[in-house]
Amino acid sequence: MSANYNVIGRSVPRIDGPEKVTGAAKYTGDLKFPNMLFGKILTSPHAHARIISIDTSEAEKLPGVKAVITHKDVPTLKYGLSPARWDENIFCSDKVRFVGDKVAAVACLDEDTCYKALKLIKVEFEELPAVLDFLHAMDEGQPLVHEEYERNINTEIHQEFGDVEKALAEAHHVRSDTFVGQRTYQSPIEPHSAISMWEGEKLTIYSSTQSPHYFQHYIAREFGMPMGDVRIIKPYLGGGFGGKLEPTGLEFAGAVLAKLTGRPVRTFYDRAEMFAHNRGRHAQHMEITTGVDKDGKILAVKANFIMDGGAYTSLGIASAYYAGALLPMTYEFDNYQFDMFRVYTNLPACGAQRGHGAPQPKYAFESHLDNVAADLGIDPMDIRIINARRPDTVTPNDFKVNSCKMRECLERARVISDWDEKKKNLPHGRGIGVATGSFVTGAGYPIYRTDLPHAAAFIKVHEDGTAATLYTGSVDLGQGSDTVLCQMAAEAMGYRYEQMKIVAADTEITPLDFGAYASRQTYMSGAAVKQAGEEVRKQVLDMASSMLNLPVDDLDCEDGIVFSKSREGKSLTFQEVARKHFVLKGPLLGKGAYTPPKLGGSFKGAAVGTSPAYSFGAQVGEVSIDKETGEITVVGIWDVHDCGKVINPRLLHGQVHGALYMGMGESVWEEVLFDDKGRIKNAELANYRVLTAMDMPPIQSEVVDSYEPSGPWGVKEIGEGATNPTLGMFSNAIFDAMGVRVNSLPLTYEKVWRALKEKREREAAEKA
Amino acid sequence: MSQVLTDKDGVKRYLITLNVNGDAHTILVKGNAILTNVLRDQLDLTGTKKGCELGDCGSCTVLLDGKPVDSCLVLAVEADGREITTIEGVSANGALDAIQESMINHAAVQCGYCTPGMVLSAKALLTRNPHPTEPEVREAIAGNLCRCTGYVHIVEAVLAASQGRVTPDDH
Amino acid sequence: MYMPDFEYHTPRTLSEACALLAELGEKATVLAGGTDILHKMKVGKLAPEHLVSLKNLDEIREIRHEAGRGIVIGALTNHAAIYNSPLLQERYLSLPMAAHTMASTQICNLGTVGGNIVNGVPSADLPPILIALQATIRLVSASGERSMALEDFFCGAAETVIAPGELLTEITIPDQETTGSTYIKFGLRRSGALAVTGVAVSVCVEGDKLRDARIVLASAAPTVMRATAAEDFLRGRTISDEALAEAGTLAAAASRPRDSIRGSAEYRKNLAEVLTKRALRKAIDEGHV
Repeated sequence: MSANYNVIGRSVPRIDGPEKVTGAAKYTGDLKFPNMLFGKILTSPHAHARIISIDTSEAEKLPGVKAVITHKDVPTLKYGLSPARWDENIFCSDKVRFVGDKVAAVACLDEDTCYKALKLIKVEFEELPAVLDFLHAMDEGQPLVHEEYERNINTEIHQEFGDVEKALAEAHHVRSDTFVGQRTYQSPIEPHSAISMWEGEKLTIYSSTQSPHYFQHYIAREFGMPMGDVRIIKPYLGGGFGGKLEPTGLEFAGAVLAKLTGRPVRTFYDRAEMFAHNRGRHAQHMEITTGVDKDGKILAVKANFIMDGGAYTSLGIASAYYAGALLPMTYEFDNYQFDMFRVYTNLPACGAQRGHGAPQPKYAFESHLDNVAADLGIDPMDIRIINARRPDTVTPNDFKVNSCKMRECLERARVISDWDEKKKNLPHGRGIGVATGSFVTGAGYPIYRTDLPHAAAFIKVHEDGTAATLYTGSVDLGQGSDTVLCQMAAEAMGYRYEQMKIVAADTEITPLDFGAYASRQTYMSGAAVKQAGEEVRKQVLDMASSMLNLPVDDLDCEDGIVFSKSREGKSLTFQEVARKHFVLKGPLLGKGAYTPPKLGGSFKGAAVGTSPAYSFGAQVGEVSIDKETGEITVVGIWDVHDCGKVINPRLLHGQVHGALYMGMGESVWEEVLFDDKGRIKNAELANYRVLTAMDMPPIQSEVVDSYEPSGPWGVKEIGEGATNPTLGMFSNAIFDAMGVRVNSLPLTYEKVWRALKEKREREAAEKA
Repeated sequence: MSQVLTDKDGVKRYLITLNVNGDAHTILVKGNAILTNVLRDQLDLTGTKKGCELGDCGSCTVLLDGKPVDSCLVLAVEADGREITTIEGVSANGALDAIQESMINHAAVQCGYCTPGMVLSAKALLTRNPHPTEPEVREAIAGNLCRCTGYVHIVEAVLAASQGRVTPDDH
Repeated sequence: MYMPDFEYHTPRTLSEACALLAELGEKATVLAGGTDILHKMKVGKLAPEHLVSLKNLDEIREIRHEAGRGIVIGALTNHAAIYNSPLLQERYLSLPMAAHTMASTQICNLGTVGGNIVNGVPSADLPPILIALQATIRLVSASGERSMALEDFFCGAAETVIAPGELLTEITIPDQETTGSTYIKFGLRRSGALAVTGVAVSVCVEGDKLRDARIVLASAAPTVMRATAAEDFLRGRTISDEALAEAGTLAAAASRPRDSIRGSAEYRKNLAEVLTKRALRKAIDEGHV
């Protein structure tokens, strides 16, 4: 598309930049209210135990303690994020199901008193045998995490498309591999906080949330309140990556504590409590079988997965479906079978982490595809290009793909990484790997069933026309949506970005938006914003038409100037027109809403993975391996993405950098570790190895020219897609460097060293 | 030694003076009060963030006598009489420091939670080494974990600031 | 996070500190840089009744050369000061480099060499290189003082010979004939990582032979340890890759690492072997680095 744009497509500085660099930006935990109390939650020290008794009397006597609550003081309605499996309570009443499960809470004058009060709550537990190994959770005789879920099965999926057995039987080559993924944690740098307060029957919660709307919905449901009486406000948010998508004990317990004391209560997690709350990436066991023809064209894929859900569902049903649903995105094949069990264990619950469900299956499949390529003697880049999805195709599981430049991404990555030269010339110990990824541009269906639009927006032009404020329920959690949506609003209005203001993510002021998850906002919130902006523009042109006495068709508006297309010099400023509009017709407002079209097939689970558009990307990485220690040095990473029209290039590349950074950590460095009692061994940032600036290689991020016909100005997803190839890319680069395949994540130095040692021993045995 | 006051329960509080961003604040703190918390809760300087509280993430970085430290591992009483610079003291009267301006223009800020600490680490670096190499920049901010950016634009922004190029070409 | 309550003391002089420590005995914990002590207090591993801050003891915060003794490092010298010391950089760059790789700038500006030693953990980064450089320490108390080789200070996992009431005041690196030294730390990321294994060596090269070598391993046993069998093997031997590799094998054989979240015992033994060989080569070829 060759349209000239004034505002979109430019790397304008972030609208929140000055506040953030000066420390003026207030995050939830920075807020103070008069008379505010501090609240903390008492959690279980056991992975699985019956609660015999809870005695809060000593805690209540401690000076400074204003309230102590247990399951007796809160609603008993079970909640969760996936409506099909509400299985969580505000506080445990019968038993605790993981180390960190919620038991009681206190509200006190200060933080210190909270910790002292928690120590005074006496809970008598009867320890129960715990399920800690997800691969055996379904075994006969295992204890049940939830009595109502037999064999600890939380979610069971069996899907088949086409005729897999027939295709495998006819294939030139069939190969099976098994891979294991690890549990990781989002680890946003800002810990979760919530401040709850009541005015009469109305509850207001300031929260570090990725979705004020879902919080509002689920909190209103839990307390049996009309949604209108629950107000959720998101101040600045210090990252989420999926970990702040659902209400936690902080909101539920905080609301009850605030009600009981009649005072605002700030509840918060420390770093270890964040790890315990978790909702990070599921560990998965993944068996994959693929049949190909002699050229390496994929004929059929069979995926058989088990995932460790932890003690509760969270968004895990969706995670389970996503794991299979997104596997057929980047390569075309007709025959596909997906089987999955998501099982309960006595570990913290898992949920949606950046790339939701897809990165680990992608690791497995991309590693597996390289094995297949090696079997056939095909270059890994070639086998991907041969199979690359084309535009205007439909996946075997009924996802309609419009724009798709998978092949162009691979070809460009091949060039900028110098793939062919490196493939020929890199010495032993150096290697290069490639992998692909794709992700939804927003989910086709909401998390809970509703026919409400997915996004809405208002624009108010100020009475004198010198500013316009965008009101949106969308959430800027760092990705820059406030900036990008203001760019889109200004473009649609014919206004200037510099004059835009934004009010976002306050359920009482801003219109409905489902928030920041599934990489939806630029597209979905953007569609609503574009509509609102166009409504403003239309009114401005109408007013200008009467002011200039020219037909509306002859007028246009760009960059704050309304002008005649046919007569030079006939123009007005947006500002004066807007002011006139206000004087004559009242407030100049625009509104918009977005609802996706009906998407997907009719089989069970067909909704998960549907999206109006999909991003595609290819990543190449080069590594150098120390043969004696297994230490991995990342030489460089090249990412090429098809993400539709780019609204703000610098912010977009920042998303790619961040997404592949998170994927890089998961590939080699990050893993949540548990001891044999189900306690996290590294619930801190020294041994949960979030990478530092010194660990990061040079990164080159490029986009291919792309336009998504269904999206506003042709936009698509970027925030999560670049996490999906990274794990497989590392696996393949290591394989290329050393000729060994590590079949479990993370691909640690020690595992690489061990694989090399075993290879040497094997070769020595063969010689002998 | 600072003056000590003992309350009716026998809890001691110390009268200390923290020189923060050029302002002398004389306040009462308990012996176990952590500098991060005192800055945030008593002086309302919430630009100093709490991320891990164990010296692993650098969100709470402040300059203590000009040197970056994790304020979560400093007792407020230990900082009595010393010069502290928090993020609120980096820009004066709304005039941003070159590092701040460069970070905005290079899109080196995402969620912004690590940003105050990052700015202070970079500020300390450029004060002692006005023209650092890229590895020196990476090393100087290695104690500031960022979960959003992969550090790409941050490193670029600090280097650019050191070279007086706070606005990138693609702007 | 929770911080336990304590009585806070700020003695003005070393003798006042010693008197106070003598009076408080085991009830007191000494606060130097705070990076270990406050961390332990926050995670619930330590709740001292009294915290004795050394912040006023500037007398043990400097680095100087004393004729006939060597370089004397005050125990309160922080890691950044060690890294930035021109004296140390000129004489034994290996020590500033070890201080530099230890932790982030923010931690290096707080943590002290004395704290790193007294903490007594086998993963500490400064003791190995200090022991390789034959460092001695001075312990002072109200009843007197004693000096000892640093390597004799450690006696078990997080255990040292320091007695209640005693204060580590200085570390001395004696003038010596070593021709090279280095510390190689193997961590699982480039910053903010504890040593999975670390190896410090010092060598005395004479022609094509090693007159002497000291090899000290971090995170390879319950305490920082000398690899004496490897040292004995090398003493007087002609330098060759094979000899250095054999020294690595001997060092690894003597090491007694345990499985931890950072690496299995088997892996750590391998690292001890590889790093010993590499550290020796580096010190032989490049001097004090």
